[in-house]
Amino acid sequence: MFRDITLGQYYPADSVLHRLDPRVKLMGTLVYIIALFVANNPIAILFITLCLIAVIRLSKVPFSFMVRGLKGIVVLLVVAGVFNLLLTPGETIFSFGIIKISDQGLKNAALMTVRMIYLIIGTSLMTLTTTPNQLTDGLERGLGFLTKVNVPVHEIAMMMSIALRFIPILIDETDKIMKAQMARGACFDSGSVIDRAKAMVPLLVPLFVSAFRRANDLALAMEARCYNGGEGRTKMKPLHYERRDAIAYIGLFLFLAAVIVMGVIL
Amino acid sequence: MSLVLDHVSYKYSTGTAYEIKALDDVSLTIEDGEFVGIIGHTGSGKSTLVQHLNGLLKATGGRIIYNGQDIYEKNYDLKDLRTQVGIVFQYPEHQLFGTTVYEDVCFGPKNQGLDDKEVALRAFEAIQAVGLPEECCDSSPFELSGGQKRRAAIAGVLAMKPAVLILDEPTAGLDPAGRTEILNLIKDLHEHHGNTIILVSHSMEDVANYVDRIVVMDKGKPLYDGSPKDVFRHYKELELIGLAAPEVTYLMHDLRAAGFPVSPDCTTVAEAKDEILRFLHENLN
Repeated sequence: MFRDITLGQYYPADSVLHRLDPRVKLMGTLVYIIALFVANNPIAILFITLCLIAVIRLSKVPFSFMVRGLKGIVVLLVVAGVFNLLLTPGETIFSFGIIKISDQGLKNAALMTVRMIYLIIGTSLMTLTTTPNQLTDGLERGLGFLTKVNVPVHEIAMMMSIALRFIPILIDETDKIMKAQMARGACFDSGSVIDRAKAMVPLLVPLFVSAFRRANDLALAMEARCYNGGEGRTKMKPLHYERRDAIAYIGLFLFLAAVIVMGVIL
Repeated sequence: MSLVLDHVSYKYSTGTAYEIKALDDVSLTIEDGEFVGIIGHTGSGKSTLVQHLNGLLKATGGRIIYNGQDIYEKNYDLKDLRTQVGIVFQYPEHQLFGTTVYEDVCFGPKNQGLDDKEVALRAFEAIQAVGLPEECCDSSPFELSGGQKRRAAIAGVLAMKPAVLILDEPTAGLDPAGRTEILNLIKDLHEHHGNTIILVSHSMEDVANYVDRIVVMDKGKPLYDGSPKDVFRHYKELELIGLAAPEVTYLMHDLRAAGFPVSPDCTTVAEAKDEILRFLHENLN
């Protein structure tokens, strides 16, 4: 039932982008988002498009995987687009009854839509080329400086990776419990809203119990192996920068600079 | 009155890169009142197979016929099928949810749409049948011991009075006493209530001791199908697929190899005892 859901949309492939240090990719995503919002003219957008296409080619991930994320925001895109189109004041270029479309509105709507689409494609590019574990590793190291102001960075990263690790397990568990209750005549997909909510009790109670049981087991197993937080802990695969990472950083810097320059000049 | 699988195939995650063929053209007939054991290594398709028998999984190919009716037919009442073919899943205690054991056991019969009196009757009957002390009825299922939880969960399925009872490794994780109790309970259901029993197990001793017929699953297909004696004659082939014969069968083979011409076809300790005694008698006289 739930087996078909793939979580953590990592797409395994052997590309430069996959091999990049996760910190570079996190920083890259941040730079990319800033660039998207700095870019306010067609030339800058065109430049970003070209860069995006180049990076997508580099990643060796099929393009269809990137647009998958777009399905979820189609409604949002349409609503945002329509509002921008109709409610932005400016010189009217088209009117029909009370509907007025201004030149500024048209521009805003187009820009907004492109930005959102690019935002999704760009961020999926990161999650497609980075495993959840690498991602949390990158976050932990990248935000490591926050420990100085007493932010428990390691603990948060650990919590994230455990949570991610448990998602498929809990999905599996849900599937099992659902089947067991269906075998006892439970019905999850018919009846009124209240009936359905009530039908969830035999599913949710065992699910919570099992989540706590697993959490307990995991905590015990971690303690048995002397886990005591981030202090002095070493990594099996420590992150370290390679030459390609330095090149990527330079590329990112140039990219951002170019977009800003285009925004200022044009 | 039987359960027939007609060329049943099942694939997980069809159409994705992760497609797995879990059942591959399985044809089986399980007659009323049979006690069938299904054995196979992990991932051989045992659990997938039994989930088909009450329509929890829908085969990607083939038909399943219960009492002469195709269960995939449009108007077939799957809910009714599930009350007639009960499944006790692996670690059934993980499905307990009621505030009391009694309430939990009532869940199945209530879903069957029985009236309150009948529901209560069946619940008490089932709790008694699995050998839970009466004072457990009002305690929370989460307060019980592991073995008691298992029994409470089995009671939850028994209360529905299924004609066919499927148990997926009902003794996993239980101590020897708990195992024997559960298996004897199942045997009793078979002998005195005429239930058809399908027992999925990893324990060769368990199946040899209790079932009349063994189906060996391998790579989603039934490899052998026959009486324990017939199946365990293939003990060498069984070893190749990660299974084995009961310990006594090996003992009898060893005795034979050591020059005592006993029949190696024994699958239970009792049979082996009789065979050895018979042999000794013949040779002493």
